[in-house]
Amino acid sequence: MNLEQEQIDLLDKYIKGDLSAEEAAAVDQRLNTDSEFREKVGQHFTMIREMKFQDQRNQLRVVLNEAHDEIENPVRILVQEKSMPARAAKNYWAISGIAATVAIISVVSTFFITRSLKNEQSAIYRELRRNVEKIEKSQKIILADIDKEKKEKKSPGNYAGTGFLISANGYLTTSYHVVKEYDSVYIENEKYGSLKATVIHSDPANDVSILKIEGVEQLHLTLPYTIAKTETSLAEEVYTLGYPREDVVFGAGSISAMTGYKGNLNAYQVSVPVNPGNSGGPLFNSKGDLVGIISGIQTETAGVAFATKSTVLLEVIKNEALDSLSNPPTLSKQNTMRNATRVEQVKRWKDYVFMVRVYKN
Amino acid sequence: MFFFGLPSGHNCIKPTLLNTVYYFDELIVAEIRKKSEVALRELYKMHFPMIANLICTNSGTEQEAKDVYQEAVIAFYEKVQQPQFVLTCKIKTYLFAVCRRLWLKRLAEKKRFTGKIEETESFLEIEEEMTDIHEKEKRYITMSKAMERLGEPCLSIIKDFYIHDLSMEVIGNKFGYTNADNAKNQKYKCLQRLKKLFFEEHKEK
Repeated sequence: MNLEQEQIDLLDKYIKGDLSAEEAAAVDQRLNTDSEFREKVGQHFTMIREMKFQDQRNQLRVVLNEAHDEIENPVRILVQEKSMPARAAKNYWAISGIAATVAIISVVSTFFITRSLKNEQSAIYRELRRNVEKIEKSQKIILADIDKEKKEKKSPGNYAGTGFLISANGYLTTSYHVVKEYDSVYIENEKYGSLKATVIHSDPANDVSILKIEGVEQLHLTLPYTIAKTETSLAEEVYTLGYPREDVVFGAGSISAMTGYKGNLNAYQVSVPVNPGNSGGPLFNSKGDLVGIISGIQTETAGVAFATKSTVLLEVIKNEALDSLSNPPTLSKQNTMRNATRVEQVKRWKDYVFMVRVYKN
Repeated sequence: MFFFGLPSGHNCIKPTLLNTVYYFDELIVAEIRKKSEVALRELYKMHFPMIANLICTNSGTEQEAKDVYQEAVIAFYEKVQQPQFVLTCKIKTYLFAVCRRLWLKRLAEKKRFTGKIEETESFLEIEEEMTDIHEKEKRYITMSKAMERLGEPCLSIIKDFYIHDLSMEVIGNKFGYTNADNAKNQKYKCLQRLKKLFFEEHKEK
């Protein structure tokens, strides 16, 4: 049998403390003497306790779900904290201590992590200058045999990138970040061997440097390609040659965006496979004309590389610093391989692409 | 007991204020004792990645990680509210141990998994704790199911009276009863129904 409505009312008042002292004492009295009544009251109180317990857990779930949303969508933290000042305010001062501690720890650790990156640029955008020393270590065993034969072997330099000729009178270009710290620069390829070069002009903002082969006023050649004067189109097929290792490496892909890292208007995004050492390499189209210079990759996304636009290179070349030289670069005016096959184009391009070795003491 | 409860016979190093890790945990505990939502949220956010990793590398999904982790955090919260509570090891260690056990149980229920998750630390003395957690979860589910079956407007009337502490006059007005007595009558009927449903659910367990 259930408790009567009046009894429930009485018990509710008993719990909420609305009974007078005598009434409460009467309830206590009956609880002590009437075991059947005690059992039923016990059930009633259990119910209320369980309801409160269930409700408390529900409220906790709400808070935890909010916290979870903050993990998944950190932007909402600000919105939420503004909209719930009443609930949060109570313990705000003490807890701000916790928040501050967390903040300090994360700031300090971020600071150390960032510092350990050594070079000053963002971790997401990685320049493709090759750290020769590192690679050399891993190749030690292979090199050991060769070294025995050729004792005079030149040091591979501290950094290596790629560069290519832009004029028949001995000018070439590479990425600024390849040659930004140097004592001497040598360029090298299969056809010409190793030549000393000087950095004539640098444009750090566009990541372009112009080099000149020392002691060469005129190479006995005509460049078979020209530098594209207009921007290329989205999805255009492009190719590159570079020195991510000691041998020249060919790569193919297409223009995937008309802007570079963080919307940089002076660069393209390209889907060409590139590696450290590819920096400064030429990016050319199906006709063999130069459309860009490989500069970097986005480290968090696979298959995303960037190339400085050829129009930017042309502007750099036109720069007065170069114009005022006694022997300014003379750009080729005609593409003589536009109808050649890809293999043929690459074969010809290869002779004008160099490994750039940078020595720094 | 290993993690919480009486300070005697535990395996954890006794916390001191010199220990910065404990100092931080003590701060969190002190705030959660005061029912600080902000502290609870910070705690939740702090250790979720660890549990997500545990579950996701052991044939679980992120959603399952969320469920298990919330259960563990709630258990911790309720534990902290107990007057005799003493922190005897890192909160992180506790959450990890509880989540690991909860997840093993779920995997066993799903029969998706027969092996075992490697133990990196000794979690052997968490048995009592787990019994308590399972028992509380059962209580929660029992009442939730009963309430679900009760339906509206009964559920709101009962909650307004017993949880939100509203008077019968206010409740009567809110639900459109002509007087407090009618409302009281309705509340009585609702309560009897809930009681019946609750004890039914209770027996099924």
